[in-house]
Amino acid sequence: MFILRFLARRLFQGAIIVFLVSALIFTLLRVVPGDPVRLMAGGMAPEALIEQIATDMGLRDPIWQQFGRYIGGVVQGDLGQSFVRPANGAAVGGASFDDTTRSERAEVLTLIADTAPMTLQLALLAMGFALVIAVPIGVWGGLRPGGWPDRMALYLSSLFVSLPNFWLGIVLALVLSVKLQLMPAIGYKGFAYAILPALVLAIEIAPFLIRTLTVSVAGVMGQNFIDIARVRGLTRDQIVFRHALKNSSIPLLNLIGVQFSMLLGGVLVIEFIFDYPGLGLLTINAVMQRDFPLIQGIAIVTAAAFVLINIVVDLVATTIDPRLEY
Amino acid sequence: MDRRKFLHYGAAAGALFGTARINPGFFFSSAHAQAARPLVFLSAENITGNWDPTAHTTLSQTNIEGFVMGYLTRAPMRPDAPDEVVHELATEITELDAHRLQIKLREGVTFHDGKPFKAEDVKATFEYGALPDRPKQVYPGPTDTFEVTTPDDYTVIVDTSKGGYGASLFIFLASYLPILSATDVAAGPNGPLSQRLNGTGPFKFVEQRGNDTVMEAFPDYFRGAPKVPGVTFSFVGDATTRMLSLMNGQADVIERLEPEQVETLQAEEGIKLSRLVSVENKYLWFRCSKPPFDNPLLRKAAAHAIDRSMIMEIMGTAGEASANFISPIKFGYFDIPDYPEYDPEECQRLLAEAGYPGGQGLPELEYITSTGFYPKTKEYGELITALLQEQGFPVTLNVMEVAAWNERLYDRPGGGPGHMVDCGWSTGSPEPDLVLRTHFHSTSKRICGIEDPELDAALDEERNAPSMEARKQSLQGNLMPMLADKVPALSLFTSVLIHGMRAEVEGLFIYPDGQSDAATATLA
Repeated sequence: MFILRFLARRLFQGAIIVFLVSALIFTLLRVVPGDPVRLMAGGMAPEALIEQIATDMGLRDPIWQQFGRYIGGVVQGDLGQSFVRPANGAAVGGASFDDTTRSERAEVLTLIADTAPMTLQLALLAMGFALVIAVPIGVWGGLRPGGWPDRMALYLSSLFVSLPNFWLGIVLALVLSVKLQLMPAIGYKGFAYAILPALVLAIEIAPFLIRTLTVSVAGVMGQNFIDIARVRGLTRDQIVFRHALKNSSIPLLNLIGVQFSMLLGGVLVIEFIFDYPGLGLLTINAVMQRDFPLIQGIAIVTAAAFVLINIVVDLVATTIDPRLEY
Repeated sequence: MDRRKFLHYGAAAGALFGTARINPGFFFSSAHAQAARPLVFLSAENITGNWDPTAHTTLSQTNIEGFVMGYLTRAPMRPDAPDEVVHELATEITELDAHRLQIKLREGVTFHDGKPFKAEDVKATFEYGALPDRPKQVYPGPTDTFEVTTPDDYTVIVDTSKGGYGASLFIFLASYLPILSATDVAAGPNGPLSQRLNGTGPFKFVEQRGNDTVMEAFPDYFRGAPKVPGVTFSFVGDATTRMLSLMNGQADVIERLEPEQVETLQAEEGIKLSRLVSVENKYLWFRCSKPPFDNPLLRKAAAHAIDRSMIMEIMGTAGEASANFISPIKFGYFDIPDYPEYDPEECQRLLAEAGYPGGQGLPELEYITSTGFYPKTKEYGELITALLQEQGFPVTLNVMEVAAWNERLYDRPGGGPGHMVDCGWSTGSPEPDLVLRTHFHSTSKRICGIEDPELDAALDEERNAPSMEARKQSLQGNLMPMLADKVPALSLFTSVLIHGMRAEVEGLFIYPDGQSDAATATLA
């Protein structure tokens, strides 16, 4: 029964967080300059038409009324329709006021459902790459605190963290894709297109994993049970891989949960540079086009994803270390 | 169930679900291992949500239409022969008299949906495209000013007697409006016209997949089936991304290169560049329908504050100096003798005459420009802002991404947003009225919002001229000097369209408005 109580409690807390995020985003979007109706109706639309459309859509009602209607829809799984995107999902530019013929607008949920798996794939691959980079460097540094592996871990972390991701993305695309022709870089036509952007994201998050691992491995290696393990006659490999790593992974696991949030921020830039059709590119276009329902929908889904990731992280942590209680 | 079991079961279920969805080809598909592949064209601008060609003035969508739609004639508009017209769906265009034009049509042409192309399609297109409510107004006057008759299935006669203007105006316009199917037009603007493209061009519209417009070769194209199996036209917002795509071979053609990119790509093997003086001029549009630029003295003062030679230095290879409101490859172009030049003293004199000596008393002015589509807009926008400020204009530059700029672009009742706007205007025909009448006649006034009876009269006079020669005289002797005096907009320069393409792309013909003819293009 513990698991049910745990899930109920965390999901309830998560629902409150998602609600607050929705309310905040909803309010902020309506107080920033830029009239979405103008974008919908087109630059040449007369003011009267703009007002009519806005009134018909309820966009001139008090914000709390608009939010009430919106959240009512969200509860029923309806995130609304994009203000500007047609059902085929294309990012669109201007149209004209008397253009009543624009095709049916896209469902926000469909747009997110189409792009979220792309971003999830990118994020998971990036996390995989980051672990491949960070674990050997971080563990090695942690096993020799103060030694040159530790210093190298520090220098590499400093180097990685100093590289702007947009610059690194362009340079890697130029070298690996243009010069060496090793892999494609722009757009998406298959899994290979995710490798390069994932690599850039991995280099962005690896420094945090390296530092956490170095510190936590060094800390664990100084504890009594490690000394005792030596007395018990365990080999160094057994001590490191069976005991030290497992105990060092709790802070790493928590960090990975946090890093996923960083990843979702990082994909905004990376997906734009690599024209990778995920949530990041969708978000950038939505913001540029003042596509309120889409921005709100992405914010809600992202917030919900954070909540779920954190619940999973806590569950995994308790599996690794049964002493933990949440 | 405890937490561990819950987690284990959850992970197992996830793995099972994930495995079932794995497509082995997914891991190994490569961009570099395709034989007969479509031509990939990367665009700098997004499209609208409506496929009706008369419903927009968006360049990227016009470029897509260039692949799919058929035109009566095409105008290559090369500087050595700007008036040249190549017949496509029309085989012969004859002026029967000043007000009657006879168009003979090609036989054996079909639309992509299978409908045979006939005179009824031309009639329907002309009449629909000239309706006053169509956003892309393309014909010399609204539908009730001309009459289209079809003596047989392959002859069209346009009679402009009712409008009082010359029927010859339809000659240049024939290369501008794509011919729609009469069946589509009959279904009205809410019918299939808005849902998809249906033309007689070399490529058939298949679908819009996110930001990719997918087209496939039309085997029954009247000039012969295209060599490439299709064209994929994609919107990619970032200029560097487009360039990298071209360099690594993922894209075959990219448009709107920045001058620095030209330098980079010139040094690249396997890349070639196409540089074309375009049909597009770039303008600084004044909001003439609201203060302070409803005062022509102030507009002229601002025009004299701008040193266009400095703008040309910024533009480098991406711009060509011109001194008119239309491109040098349009009918009627000449260097207007009194075109406003950089003259600070004249600027100050005009400011004082307008009642704002040294700019004192002027309200805060907003100058709106975009970044990401046209090359160097931000850079020369900053220059223009500095030059205007130097003369006392309290100008603030507002640089916006394309969608937000697009939203603020057009005139509205009481004046559009801001006081000055940067924008180009490109029309794939030598016809000057597609720019002049569209922007400076009070019935259209797209961006500047000017309503001036003298300009209306001058525009009507040149349109109604009995012959092409008389029209040229009216344009050069009356309308263009008047525009240079009233300056509803200042044409800054003529754009140079620079396309980058892979060396293996052969036979792609690029028109000066950015449209391409890929009917005979090959990917070696």
